[in-house]
Amino acid sequence: MTGTAKRLGDRLLGGAMIAMLGLVLAFLVTPLLVTCLLAFDARSFLGPLPPPALSMRWFEKLVSLDYVTTGLATSLKIAVLTTSVDVFIGTAAAVALDRSNFPGRSLVMAVFLSPLIVPAVVIGFALLLFLSRIGIVDGFTRLLCGHIVITLPYVVRTVLASLSGRDRRLTEAALVLGATEHQAFWNITLPLIRSGMVTGAVFAFAVSLDDVAVSMFLTDPSTYTLPVALVSNMRASFDLTIAAAAVLLMAVSAVLIIVLERFVGFDRLLGQGLFRS
Amino acid sequence: MSNAVEFHRVSRRFGAVTAVDDVSFSIAAGETVALLGPSGCGKTSILRVIAGFERPDHGTVSIGGRDVTALKPYERNVGLLFQHYALFPHMTVAENIAYGLRHRGADRREIPDRVEAMLALVRLQGFGSRRPHQLSGGQQQRVALARALATRPGLILLDEPLSALDAKLRQDLRAELKQVLAAVNSTAMVVTHDQEEAMSLGERVFLMQAGRIVQVGAPSDVYGRPGSRFAADFMGRTNWIEAQVTRRETGLARALSRSGLSLTVPDCPSDAIDICVRPENIILSAADDADQHGMANSAKGRILNVALLGSTRQILVEMAGGEQILVMQANRVGDGLGPGQAVTIGFPVDACITMPAGNPTGLAA
Ligand SMILES: Nc1ncnc2c1ncn2[C@@H]1O[C@H](COP(=O)(O)OP(=O)(O)O)[C@@H](O)[C@H]1O
Ligand SMILES: [Mg+2]
Repeated sequence: MTGTAKRLGDRLLGGAMIAMLGLVLAFLVTPLLVTCLLAFDARSFLGPLPPPALSMRWFEKLVSLDYVTTGLATSLKIAVLTTSVDVFIGTAAAVALDRSNFPGRSLVMAVFLSPLIVPAVVIGFALLLFLSRIGIVDGFTRLLCGHIVITLPYVVRTVLASLSGRDRRLTEAALVLGATEHQAFWNITLPLIRSGMVTGAVFAFAVSLDDVAVSMFLTDPSTYTLPVALVSNMRASFDLTIAAAAVLLMAVSAVLIIVLERFVGFDRLLGQGLFRS
Repeated sequence: MSNAVEFHRVSRRFGAVTAVDDVSFSIAAGETVALLGPSGCGKTSILRVIAGFERPDHGTVSIGGRDVTALKPYERNVGLLFQHYALFPHMTVAENIAYGLRHRGADRREIPDRVEAMLALVRLQGFGSRRPHQLSGGQQQRVALARALATRPGLILLDEPLSALDAKLRQDLRAELKQVLAAVNSTAMVVTHDQEEAMSLGERVFLMQAGRIVQVGAPSDVYGRPGSRFAADFMGRTNWIEAQVTRRETGLARALSRSGLSLTVPDCPSDAIDICVRPENIILSAADDADQHGMANSAKGRILNVALLGSTRQILVEMAGGEQILVMQANRVGDGLGPGQAVTIGFPVDACITMPAGNPTGLAA
């Protein structure tokens, strides 16, 4: 092959990659844009785009619905509690796993991370059976347990990634310089894993706020999360309040991501090893 | 005065591996010792036992006359330079150096001055507010050294302090390290797998092999009078000549090598012997050089090849009987030595080290 042909090949490949990237972006972003437009649609029916007039009517209807306000309150409570418990348990587990060296270590690690792989339906159903067997029938407690199970892996994983094997040596360096184990944890380990903890917490919060599949199994008639309430009522009466709710949830996610970007930095956030082993 | 460090029959096992095998030694206050051995022989494990990260399975460790076997790392005042420095990434250089001072209860008002003094000691003035990742490898190494020395530990341990640096820098920093260690005047143990480093830094060398200390002595002793084949090989290039003793005189032995070289060597109790001759102790000259006749040992051969190493060169000579002998000499210009040339080699009796044959490790069976 001649030099120019090689170069042409490279150019074509480069062009194809950019085109592919554009397609993927369009595929991801278009539904979001459509949803945003529809949420402000003034018509009372699902008509062709673009909407002839804009209004806030779906947002007004949304906040007037009882099941939405109740669901949102429950969702937020669950998400905050879940995240707090996750950060505590997940950090402790990650630090312990990082320091330990016992034979079954990778098995324990796999168990901690399994909810990322096991289908949500399986987790939801199994939890429902297990919790009722041990006598937990209260919807709120059930939801809390379920959400902790599915979100804990995010914190464990991000904290483990931020420890990345450096912690043991640095802790030893601190000990030999006169720090106790307790002091070394506070002024060496904790600063090292702070960004991992924040990242894990934000992911846990977002996943908890968003979950439908597991929560469906664990709600009771008076305790349900916002996504569950929306999905249930969408079947009964379909209108654009659901688009308004989606925009609301998107706004929450956007705020979280901006906060994270400020505290941790986007590259660190994505490089935090969430999808690495 | 009590010894700065004393090991009494210390062992440490990890599963099936005995990393430290019944080791005893003592280091005098103010002395610098080089712990030398191949990778995996247990050097780091010995440091970790001294620092308190590993509890020995057997034996006792004392520092400055005090039994510290059961003490935590922070209950001993030992400075440790880690192999990969282990600088705290989220702290500045100054905070790194101050860390030990803060935790060893130094007077808060004196910390900044002490940090400055340490930065000056390692020639890093003005670098106090940098982060470790903004420094080069050599600079990080010096920060780690400053941090380890800041609390004026009576004992400083250095784990392969120069191994993470490239060759040229390593030589410069070796000289600097020696100066700094002399300046602070504390007892030091330098771990290394590099015999040059051990010989240039240590007043004594502890040679390790497979968890044991197999030879202790001044660098020139360990190099010049190795106690085993392992020690001889580890300390530098050597020629080995296998021979049989044919006759003994006072302090000397006549021996015949397998290829028929007749040699005069220092006496040895065994009849089957291995003779070690360092390449730099062999004199090489033109085939008919009369000077060689004064040598106790001389033989004719032919040059196989010449390898230039800069200031020195290695010449491989094949003897008439088939033995190959390596000769090392200064790289002089224009004497035209080249492959195929007939030469005579010679070496005196005291260039030969004899040891009983067939004991490659030197360890007691
Ligand atoms: N924490 C540990 N667990 C298991 N084996 C270890 C541990 N530390 C050291 N070893 C083993 O002990 C031996 C000596 O190791 P080390 O002291 O690090 O050697 P060196 O520093 O001389 O290279 C090696 O075989 C090593 O694998
Ligand atoms: Mg080592």
